Amino acid sequence: MECEAISGRMDAVAARPLADLLECPPATGNLLNGSAQCIDFDGGEIVFRQSGTCRGLYLVVSGLFQRRTERLETRLTLGPARAGDLVELSAALGDGHHTYTLSAQTPGSMLLLPMEALNQAFQSYPPLRMRLLEELAREVSRAYNTCRLNRTLRVRPHGSSATPA
Amino acid sequence: MIPALTPWAGTLYFNLTSGEPMAAFHSHHPPEDCINCEHRHLRMFCNLTPEALRDYDGIGIMMSHARGAKLFSEGDPARNVFVICFGQVKISSTSRDGKTMILKIAGPGDVMGLSAVLANVPHEVTAEAIEPCQVKTVRKQEFVDFLGRHGIASMHAAQSLSGEYLTVFHDAKRLALSGSAAGRLARLLLDWGRASANGKPEIRFTMALTHEEIANMAGTSRETVTRLLNQFRRDQWITIKGSSLTIVKPDQLERLTA
Repeated sequence: MECEAISGRMDAVAARPLADLLECPPATGNLLNGSAQCIDFDGGEIVFRQSGTCRGLYLVVSGLFQRRTERLETRLTLGPARAGDLVELSAALGDGHHTYTLSAQTPGSMLLLPMEALNQAFQSYPPLRMRLLEELAREVSRAYNTCRLNRTLRVRPHGSSATPA
Repeated sequence: MIPALTPWAGTLYFNLTSGEPMAAFHSHHPPEDCINCEHRHLRMFCNLTPEALRDYDGIGIMMSHARGAKLFSEGDPARNVFVICFGQVKISSTSRDGKTMILKIAGPGDVMGLSAVLANVPHEVTAEAIEPCQVKTVRKQEFVDFLGRHGIASMHAAQSLSGEYLTVFHDAKRLALSGSAAGRLARLLLDWGRASANGKPEIRFTMALTHEEIANMAGTSRETVTRLLNQFRRDQWITIKGSSLTIVKPDQLERLTA
């Protein structure tokens, strides 16, 4: 039941189509198109590292990429990024540092919209920032639900035995 | 028995050894409005340009909440955005069988309810004041319109969402990347200590949570938290004086989190 409810909530916050998210007037569109860089990656290659400085917003064009977070020797896989996915809205719109490490699982390519062009686009067309902000909010909501699923399995009930989990 | 407190009487802290509430102390001086708030330069969201600040001052209402007051509950429709001016608020979520997990303790300048408002979904979490607090409450549409008018405000909102995203990640990491309750508790203590230390060499902080609440944050039981805190103290990794906790050997705690 809990999982079904979470699944329903996940549908409500599903990622919006890219064309809707990045729709903007021709001048702003040209600015973004003109600055976009297409970068190819081999399987296993790191796109960016957790805590590294964010160069911009990434869009997966082809291939399969893996998000993972790490601390010391431990790694946690957070899920794949596929063609059409916008990657790291949080870092691009927020504090400018990557939340996780992204690596290519298969050969693939990504489109990078550099921060500078993105900031210019926000100034010339403010609704773009608002739309991406809303998408980031949906991403946060998806993260809550993923985490809730994880937690449902792991949290111990009140009054359980005192031995370490 | 927890004594009743009137707003602005002060902060209620808990004795970390016994888990019992202690006397209230250190009073706050709530700001009259946003423009004359002497603390806004220190706050993430409210540090706005003069034009945006004037606009921000004109929206929403300032509300005082007593300790224990719920600002919103998980599943409630998201009708408002809340910005903390003073005080601390516990952000938690509960599963259907009543298990509670505290995700973070929000403080001055933190924005609550923003992701639910912008994603147009019910609140994902519950927000409850753990001490008397003052919160600016802004209606959903009013806040969205304000963000649309001021680039600086939407930038700060993005930073706030980014912070919320990190909190959720930290929660997942805390549970998944540390196999033991000791490791999860150690991670919490280090996170709180480092946040309070603000670059100072001494890692010390004041605890506003009960052992039960710490247990809900570390995904373990109250008994385990009490036992582990005593263990850390006996090993001289931490010292506890009343509600004040000092981390003496952070490297030992760090080792537990691996």
